[in-house]
This record gives sequence, structure tokens and C-alpha cells, in this order.
Amino acid sequence: MEFWQDAQFGNRMITLMAALVLVLQIMMVTQRWLITNIRAFAVQSFLLACIANTIAYYNNAPHIYAAAVLMLLIKVILLPVLFERLVKRIGIRQEIEPLVNAPISVIIAGLLTLLAYVVAESFHRPDEPMGPASLGHNTLAVAIALFLIGFFMMVNRRKALTQVLALLSLENGIFLAAISLTYGMPMIVEVGIFFDVLVAGMVLAILVFRIRETFDSMDVSRLSRLKG
Amino acid sequence: MEAMHLVSATASFATAIFLAGEVLQQGAVSKANGFLYADHLSALAALLAAFVYLVCAPYAVGYLRRDEADQAFAPSGDKRAVLRKLRMYYSLTPLFVFCMFLVVVSNNLGVMWIAIEGTTLASIFLVTFYGRPTSLEAAWKYAMIGGVGLSMALFGTVLTYYSAHLVLGGDSVSALNWSVLVLQAPHFDKTVIRLGFILILLGFGTKAGLAPMHTWKPDAYSEAPVPVAALMATAVLNCAVYGLARFYVLTVRCLGPAFASNLLILFGLLSVGVAVPFILVQRSSRRLLAYSSIDQGGIMILGLGFGGPIGTLGMLLHMTYHSVTKPLLFFCVGNAQQHTGSDSLKKNGGGLIHALPITAPMFLLGTLAVTGTPPFSMFQSEFMVLRAGFAGHYLVLSMIFVGCLVAIFCGFFHHVAELVLGPPRGVPREKICPWKTYPVIGLSILVIGMGFWLPAPLYQLVDGAARILAVTP
Repeated sequence: MEFWQDAQFGNRMITLMAALVLVLQIMMVTQRWLITNIRAFAVQSFLLACIANTIAYYNNAPHIYAAAVLMLLIKVILLPVLFERLVKRIGIRQEIEPLVNAPISVIIAGLLTLLAYVVAESFHRPDEPMGPASLGHNTLAVAIALFLIGFFMMVNRRKALTQVLALLSLENGIFLAAISLTYGMPMIVEVGIFFDVLVAGMVLAILVFRIRETFDSMDVSRLSRLKG
Repeated sequence: MEAMHLVSATASFATAIFLAGEVLQQGAVSKANGFLYADHLSALAALLAAFVYLVCAPYAVGYLRRDEADQAFAPSGDKRAVLRKLRMYYSLTPLFVFCMFLVVVSNNLGVMWIAIEGTTLASIFLVTFYGRPTSLEAAWKYAMIGGVGLSMALFGTVLTYYSAHLVLGGDSVSALNWSVLVLQAPHFDKTVIRLGFILILLGFGTKAGLAPMHTWKPDAYSEAPVPVAALMATAVLNCAVYGLARFYVLTVRCLGPAFASNLLILFGLLSVGVAVPFILVQRSSRRLLAYSSIDQGGIMILGLGFGGPIGTLGMLLHMTYHSVTKPLLFFCVGNAQQHTGSDSLKKNGGGLIHALPITAPMFLLGTLAVTGTPPFSMFQSEFMVLRAGFAGHYLVLSMIFVGCLVAIFCGFFHHVAELVLGPPRGVPREKICPWKTYPVIGLSILVIGMGFWLPAPLYQLVDGAARILAVTP
């Protein structure tokens, strides 16, 4: 038997890639260049597609391949290209100072990761030898961490485009949770969710562009006229 | 385009009636290999959505024609820009409504989530219809708050699927079908369902505009065109409450009533309470309606939370009556706004009854109806919710609830009376536009009629739906 056919090896690869995904997410928390942010998001999505492929390979679950392909097409290629073109067109390259500065943001992200591990602990079932849960224990914690850090980024960032990226990385967390818990959602649901993500990405990109044109800025703290 | 719009509205209403008839005769219907599933609850929600669409369609024709004449959404002379906007309206609105239908008839809870997200996506560009800076702001808040909320709901759906997956094993195609889940619910993992329900409540609660996730609502309602705002305030609210109710049933069957009910009562009462101060000091009539809709959503959730046969019946009756009354108010506000050019309560001052001899009295009537004044039907449903509260021994909470309702009545009625009554202020009399006037008159007749008589088949539908929700574990 070759070493890559060993399920243990696959498990380690998944854990390694999940760790990299988490590192990328924390990097996005502190990164201020928009282009770097978009690329970090693309790499993160690529790693998730790899994780999906690995799980599909070791568990003989062919429908996860389809999810991985959709991930690759939409979140690795289509949306990042769209966002990079948007950044070039509106000519804003850097995020202004976020509400919480970088060192404290990293500490908060670390605390959120800790919280995610605590939550994921409640899903752990040692009595089930090779169920979905035991495969996904570590991965699930990473998924919940992505979700929570995504939240934090949405609150912390003030540029419209970075908020969109935060929302999409939050969605990445849900994707990871779905494949690590249950080997993906049913096919039709998976396709529908990706379609929604694609449409949401495009709609938000158009909205960002129009906000930039109208307000001459992408700073969402300027959107404060409606009150009461 | 206008004719197409009217035809599609009529056709969807006919379909909804047909569906309701079939459900009443045969019980739950399942089509397309179990992909579509409709019971009394779905049929009721579909019927209400189709009804609101039906009354909004003719109103929208008159409303948009008037806007076009006023050059409200495109600069003068630019024929192509006008046409583009009109095309956008007449294509996105049916898509919006289609998504709502998909929400209520899909058996798969994942597809239901996709359709609810679809309603958000279809309506973002309807919120930016007028292209003002404020409408962009409203759309941004709507998209972002809605997006975060719905992603929580998606996580909740994933968790529900996970717990079903553990029980049902490899049969993954039907493991998110409601008809399967509801039977298996008692065997689900309790921790997972508990976490899942909290996420679902936050998620669909955001979509329904429950406090404290309600902040997008007044902005979106005051910036969208009036017919879209009316659809959002009634049909979308119903869809979100519908989604929540489905998961509520699963949770109650798995965990027993206490956990889910307490959470629902908390959020429901918070929504009713949050609406009070904002209604009392409100300056814009559209935002007034938005806060009223937050309050109504809270009452429905409260009814569901108090539970039991009376609570759920009260909630669904409230949903039905609200879907008839709220469009009337929106249309009245729309007529007034287009006539005077502003939705500010202060600027318009008073004496609207002299300028708008048909709309203004109907506005007053709608206000009395929506705040739950006795001869009208919403008094009945609010009273039922209250009775369920007392029956469930939530004495203090019910008292607070009554206090909030009284305060909302005072605030709402004060504002509208000040706007409508009073000496004439030199605003010219309106020219009667049949497209905009007949829906108002028709709805008023319905609102009055429903206070005294509810058609028997409709009541059967509501009653059947209430039985689905009034579960015992």
C-alpha cells in the first residue's frame, strides 16, 4: 500500500490544511492591502477545495468532488478576479485604520479560536470510532473559528470591500463545517448555496462600486444618514 | 410589461388558491419526487404572499407611472434610463415573489434557506431603485445585516442536517426533507439541535426583523418603492416566520417546549418593546410603518412562543390579518408621499384629509385596524395571543405586552391623526388615479369585512396550520 492510501495520512493532510486556512484567516484580520486580502481569500478557498477533495477521496463520496469544483470555479477564480478588477477600477488600495488595531485584533482572533475549540468539544464523540465527527473534530473547530473571526472582521473593518470578503470567509467556515461534519450537504443544496454565493458576490461588487461612485469613498462609516 | 405583470400576479394568485384547495381536500401534498411539499401552513403562507402580490401589482402600475411623470427615478428626457429602471422593476419583482413561493413549498430545508437568501438578493436592487445616496446606504445595511444573519441560519441548517445524518445514516438525499425530519426529530442529538435552533432563530429572526437585528428594516422600507416595501413588510416577514416555525416544530419535538418557547418569547417581547420608543418619536411615516411591522413580527413570534393551540392560532390569524392590513397602510402612505412629495410627518403637518379625500380616511381606518382596535380583526388575533400568554402563566410578560401595545396605539394614532386631520393647508386636491385608488378601496373593504366574517375555507386553512405548529413532544 502506498503511503497516500493510508487514511491516517489523509487525516493529517486535512488537519495541516485546516491549520493553514486558519492562519490565512488571521492574516486577513491584520492585513491592510486590499489586493493581498483578496489573494489570501483565494488561497484560503483553494485550500478548502483541497480539503474537500481529500475527504471525497478517502471516504468515497463522489458528490464532494462536485462541491470542490464549484468552490474552485467560484471562490478561487471568479470572485477574486472580479474583486481585483473592482479594486483597480475604484483605485483604493489600502484599508484605513481598523477600529481595533492589529495586535489587539490578533489577540481577539486567538480568543475566538479558543472559543471555537470549546464549542467543537461538545460535538466530540469518542465512542464512535470513525464517524464523521471523529474525522472532523479538529476541522470543525477551525470551521467555527473561521465563522467567528469572520464576524469579528465584519465589525472591525470599515471598507465596504473588506466587509464583503469577511462575509465570504465566514461562508467558507460554514462550507468547512458542512464537509467535516456530514461530508457535504445534499447535492442540490450545495449547488444552490454556491449559486447564491456567486450572485451575492456580484451583487455586492456592484453595490460597492456604486457606493464608491456616489460617496467618493468606500468607507462604510460614511453611510450614516438614515437614523431613528 | 405592465400587462405581463398583472397577468403574472393573477396567475400566481390562482395557483395559490388552487394549492390551498388541494391541501384542504387531501391534506399535505407532495410533488416532484418529494422535492415540493405543501401542508396547511405552506398553503396559507403561499396564499398570503400571492394575495399581497395581487394587490401590489395594479398599485405598482399607477405608482410607477406617477414616478415616471415626476421624474423620480431617472433624470428628465432620458428615455432609456427610465425604460431600464422599469424593466428592472418588472423583472425583479416577479423573481422576488417566485423566491417566496419556493420558500414555502420546498420540502428540503436547505432549499428553503437558498430561497430565503434568494429573496434578499432579488430585492437589493429594488431597494436601490431610486439611486439616492440614502438608498445605497439602506441597501448596504440590508445586504450586510441580511447576509450575516442568513449565514447564521445556514450554519443552523448544517447542524440540523448533521443531527439528522447521525440518525438516518447514509440516506442523505431526503435527510433535510421536512416531512422526514419531523418524524425523526425526537431522536436527534440534543446539544446540536439546541445550538442549531439558536443560530436559526438569530438568522431567520434577522430576516423577519426581530429586535435587536431589526436595524435594516426602517431604512429599507423607507427607501424601496412602496409596492416593494409592502411586499417586504408582509410576504417576506411571513416567509421568515414560516422558516422559523418549521425549525421550532423540530426543536420542540426534540427538546420539549420550554427551551424554544422561552427564546421566542424573549425575542418577540423585545421586538414589541423596541418598537415603542421609535414609534412615539417618529418623524417619517414610512419608518413609522417599518417599526409597526417590527412590532407585528414580534407579536407573531410571541404567539408562537406562548404556544399551545390558542397561541399558534392567534399567531397565524395575526399573520393573515396583517397581510391584508399592512399593504393598505403602505399604499396610503405612498399616495400621500407622491402627492405631497415627502414622507415627513412634520413637513406635511396636517389637513391631508382635504387634499386626499379618499386616501386619508382609509389611512385612518388602516391605522385603527393595525393597532388592534376592537371592531377590526387584528384585535381578535392580538387578544388570542394575549390569552395564550395568560393561559401559559406568563402574567408579568403579558402585562408588559399589553402596556407596549397601548403605547404603540397611542403613538401611531397620534401621528396619523395629526397628519390626516386638521384645517386645510393649501395642498391642492389630488387627481384620482384609478390604479392607485382602487387597491386602497378594495383593501379597506376587506379589512372591514374581515373584522366580522372570515371565509370558512380560509379559517380551515389557518386552523390546520395552527395544528401543525401546536406540537407536543
